[in-house]
Amino acid sequence: MSPETTIDDRFDDIVAALRAETPATPAALHARVSAVTAAPQAVPRFTARRILSFAIPAVAGLSVALALVVGLNTAIRPAPSDETAAVARESSPPAATVSPTYEAGTVQDQARTLAPSQSKGQPSSPGPATNRAQDYNATLLLLVDGTDELSGTTQRALRTTRRLGGYLVSVNYATPEAGEGTAALRLRIPVSRVQAAIVSFSGLGRILSQETRISDLQQPLDEVTRRIRRLERDAAQARGAERTRLLAQIASLRRQRTEINRRAAFATVNLDLTTHAPEEPAPAPGRLGRALDDAVGILLAELVIAAYALIVASPFLMLLIAGFFGNRAYRRHADQRLLERA
Amino acid sequence: MTPSLADAAEKHLDDVYRYVLYLTRDPQAAEDLAAETFERAVRLWHRFDPARGSERTWLCQIARTAALDHLRSEERRRRREQRYAGMAEREAERLVEPVSPWLREALGALSAADREVIALRVILDLDASSAGRVLGITPTACTTRLSRALEKLERNARTARVA
Repeated sequence: MSPETTIDDRFDDIVAALRAETPATPAALHARVSAVTAAPQAVPRFTARRILSFAIPAVAGLSVALALVVGLNTAIRPAPSDETAAVARESSPPAATVSPTYEAGTVQDQARTLAPSQSKGQPSSPGPATNRAQDYNATLLLLVDGTDELSGTTQRALRTTRRLGGYLVSVNYATPEAGEGTAALRLRIPVSRVQAAIVSFSGLGRILSQETRISDLQQPLDEVTRRIRRLERDAAQARGAERTRLLAQIASLRRQRTEINRRAAFATVNLDLTTHAPEEPAPAPGRLGRALDDAVGILLAELVIAAYALIVASPFLMLLIAGFFGNRAYRRHADQRLLERA
Repeated sequence: MTPSLADAAEKHLDDVYRYVLYLTRDPQAAEDLAAETFERAVRLWHRFDPARGSERTWLCQIARTAALDHLRSEERRRRREQRYAGMAEREAERLVEPVSPWLREALGALSAADREVIALRVILDLDASSAGRVLGITPTACTTRLSRALEKLERNARTARVA
């Protein structure tokens, strides 16, 4: 027998005496209690337990239902990429090819990034105009395979530049990690051969991006030429100090014109080589995937809100719990003291 | 399946009555408190959960609350009477037959707290766990409290027999 159920043997006599003289219940009390308990017991409709047993599943069900509704709504809608494509199709002109125009006094910039699938193909960059002075600036980003090929490609690019009559302005070659490296070449190439250079460079690796900027220099060149002619006419009629001043101005303008011609004669090509392939964009999730993502997102948001509410309410809950247990301990102590006195 | 309250009353009325009689030592008050216990039980029966304890334990908890309310009001009444009469009322020995005079005297010298644990563990034969649940203490504390109460009762009984 466990000590929980047995009573110490020392008290057998007194326990036996107590049990032998157990008081009997009066018959009147039996009748009284029978009358009380025979009456039908009213069950309250709303108890805390009933309300909680209904409310908790209801709130959980509503949360899941909301997440499902949002998920289904996402599944019904077309994918954002599809929408973008549709809008692009509607808004683009039928012939949306790269076809820059070169008007005097305007600057035409062409910048685009080629998809990896367009790799070793021919670059479709606009070429320089043959009858106008232009500042031609092209940038190519190529992917090469490993540092060995990076070095070889750099050498080949330099040889091509020299072969086409160009020269190297600067080179920045770096291999910070094993197998990884970049080379940034700034090249000047005669504008008449820049297209051939770009075609040649494009074959050195996989084109990751290509950008061409063309600024028109013909208008400032014409303006400088007109001013020089006007000043030359004035200088022919001028004498003394005035003539000297005009001749100095003419000399300055001629230097300016030479500079413009020099800029127009050579194109700048920035050739960037890298061994680091850009990360492939993750494939767009399907309808089911998007629906699941959105539903899980809503559920997570609900959990975050619930956690936030719990964090905000926790000090008050702690106070309530402490008050409840403190009050219960106090009442128990008071009851015990009352029983000790009675 | 939860039994009906009428069945529980039939089965445990004696225990409830004996428990409150030991607590109050007043047969009339014990009758009233036992009846009140079942009136309260009628109102609270929907909250009874057999998984959390037996019907007897649950009824004893209700009886205890009723008895404590009674003892509190009795204490207030006695204080009022003492204040106005200027004398302490001598508590009569009110446990009725068949309790022997020596046992009645020995029990009368105990506090209600001691009589309560004796009633639960000896008269109602509850185990320490159930009795501890009624008293709001651990089974170990209940066993300790019972031993002390029985020691006191034995001492009082010896004195009463000699007298």
